[in-house]
Amino acid sequence: MVSSRPADALSAFLLRTKLYWSLLVLLAVGVLTSPVSSKGINIFLSTGNLSDVLRQVSNNGIVAVGMTLVILTGGIDLSVGSIMALGSVLCAMLLTEDGWTSATFLSLPIFAILCGLFVAWGTQRVLRLRHGSFHNIGGRAVPAALVGAAVAAGAFWWATTQVPGKFGVVGVLLVVPAAGLAFGWLNGLIITKGRLQPFIVTLAMMVGVLGIARVVAGQDAAVHPVYTGTNATEDFDVLRALLYRIVPVPGLFFLAIVALSALLLRTTLFGRYVFAIGGNEQAARLSGVAVDRVKIAVYAISGSLASLAGVLYTAQYRQGKPDAGVGMELDAIAAVVIGGTSLMGGKGSIAGTFVGVLIFGFLSNILQLNNIDSNTQLVLKGVIILAAVLLQEGSLNDVRSGFRRIFGSRAARHENVPAAGTPPTGIAGSTSAIEARPGDSSERKEVPLQATQGSV
Amino acid sequence: MKRRTFLMTGSAGILLAAMPLHRVLAQGKKYRFGFSQVTTVEPWRVQFNKDMKREADLHPEVELLIADGQDKTEKQVADVENFIRQGVDVLLISPKESAGLTGVTLKAIEAGIPTIILDRNVNTDKYTQFIGGDNVVIGRAVGEYAVKALGGPGQAKGNVVEIWGGFGTQASHDRSDGFHAMIDKEKGIKVINEKVDCDWKQNKAYDLMTTLLKANEQIDLVYGHNDPMAYGAYLAAKDAGREKDIKFLGVDAIPNEGVQWVNKGQLTATFLYATPGAEGIRQGLKIVKGEKVEKTITLPTMTIDKTNAPQVLKDNGLG
Repeated sequence: MVSSRPADALSAFLLRTKLYWSLLVLLAVGVLTSPVSSKGINIFLSTGNLSDVLRQVSNNGIVAVGMTLVILTGGIDLSVGSIMALGSVLCAMLLTEDGWTSATFLSLPIFAILCGLFVAWGTQRVLRLRHGSFHNIGGRAVPAALVGAAVAAGAFWWATTQVPGKFGVVGVLLVVPAAGLAFGWLNGLIITKGRLQPFIVTLAMMVGVLGIARVVAGQDAAVHPVYTGTNATEDFDVLRALLYRIVPVPGLFFLAIVALSALLLRTTLFGRYVFAIGGNEQAARLSGVAVDRVKIAVYAISGSLASLAGVLYTAQYRQGKPDAGVGMELDAIAAVVIGGTSLMGGKGSIAGTFVGVLIFGFLSNILQLNNIDSNTQLVLKGVIILAAVLLQEGSLNDVRSGFRRIFGSRAARHENVPAAGTPPTGIAGSTSAIEARPGDSSERKEVPLQATQGSV
Repeated sequence: MKRRTFLMTGSAGILLAAMPLHRVLAQGKKYRFGFSQVTTVEPWRVQFNKDMKREADLHPEVELLIADGQDKTEKQVADVENFIRQGVDVLLISPKESAGLTGVTLKAIEAGIPTIILDRNVNTDKYTQFIGGDNVVIGRAVGEYAVKALGGPGQAKGNVVEIWGGFGTQASHDRSDGFHAMIDKEKGIKVINEKVDCDWKQNKAYDLMTTLLKANEQIDLVYGHNDPMAYGAYLAAKDAGREKDIKFLGVDAIPNEGVQWVNKGQLTATFLYATPGAEGIRQGLKIVKGEKVEKTITLPTMTIDKTNAPQVLKDNGLG
């Protein structure tokens, strides 16, 4: 070790938390450039503005969390936008129309089957009482399936009682994410059993589900407005409410989902499997991880979160339409990547996605508060996203030395070229159960490189 | 790393700190009008913004802030929320969709900001004022002209293609209703296509018309809910070599666009849908000065075809 311990520790700390530094810098810029209201309050920091931003990022954030899980396994999900749109259409139609419509025909059977499957799985786990792996069920399958079928019938019966009238908030919150889960599950099934690239499968699903959404919505009305109090239940407004005049309910959903997913990834076996598959799928498979089931589960979660976002969209904008989610997948992917999750899989965190989503939201907010022309906003956003990602990856120095070599100073030409890999990004990362810990041995190798780079 | 980060963020900070300069320069303005536009991709909206800026320049005490929603409801809602936070004196909105912008309109009213809705309406009447054309009246005018062009009342016959604007906007429904009120009475007129949402865009109308031309031998008249769509249909017909057999009717009548097309003989007629922006600024000034304003202002329409197109162009300084 060349440098002294405290400086070393500080650099390590900065490196580990550099994700949050970008956000803090952005917040600082926001505070400095914010207009001041007539009463002298800094508008950027006002509770009203902050709660606005939280609400504005919630939808994208929820989808981004699902996207993080998928990307961590090394896949990608391009269909989330369309699933979200389908979710909004289903939600709007279930809320505003009585009886058996195309929406109920689509969503109710899915809901019933999923309830049944879920209960069957739960019962089977209880009956086994041990071992957390998805292996053969054995002789306890029959009672589990019976219980499952019973509950499916029960759920279907309850749902059908809702059908003649319009659905309420609870009904919609249960049935619509179930539909999204089914489409996500379909994604995962085709990817694993068909052994196809996730890009292509989810691309096809994106187009197909958009069509389904349009067919369900029907020709006569591409937009289904929801008027709570007249053609829909008043209770639905709770999904748009502002609790204590500060906390938006969609924001609560977003924060809860972030917390739950972070817990899922860090503390459960399932989370370890997700990282393992992303890190090295072959090794995971050979080690006995049920790769297919985990991947299907991950895509299913992504789909259900996307359609939940659709429900919140319908609540916020009082309408359901098939074109609601166009472009949403790209925003989600951008947020995930800014947050430090590698597109190759195996590295990343939900905390990173959370910060990435916030960076996006605050960036738009700051640019708009300063009334920057919208077209310039787009250019600036692109530049800043690039800069943020370069910072995260630590390859800013590579870019700089690359430039120096091209426009060349002699010193630059003689400079040690760093190895292709970047120093381990320790952003709240967890190690997979399978990969060897990148602990001491690699650290000893990395130190000489770090010294010549002259940076942390 | 620490030094580099400091340099980078420092320069970024300086850059961004320079932004509020324009606010200092605008210090002399008394009133801030915030205008949330849907998109500037459509020519009508470009004209809309131009007219507004011209009107704002005539009143030096007004600072006009225009936010472009980039054709997304979420962005437009965020823009309006932003204006509410900034505490603008008057808020003008040209909504992308009626339902989508309703919530934020109510928020603005609750925050005590006078809100003028332009062009498309929202699903509430708590706004301060609505300014727009009457699309039903325009639709009727189109229908009347179409009946005359196809043979006259009682004897009109022909196959008609109707190209819809965005399904989520009241404008397209109104323009269609007015049109049908006039042509449904004629037994000889048939609308031969299913409703397809062409979202006011020229390229979507082009694609639709190409398909319809292949599927239908006889098309006599095309009614596009706005000029770009009618023009897109004209181009499709031209590419198929059938533009001489078909009459094209559009709505908007922007001087250097729809009216030019009529003048060149490409569109048969267009119907004026005036941009409400300039009137919005005038009314906004009345509001901040404390005067009472009417709840709804309807802008009149005008039929423009080959007979009066040259005059309209001259009036607007375009040859």
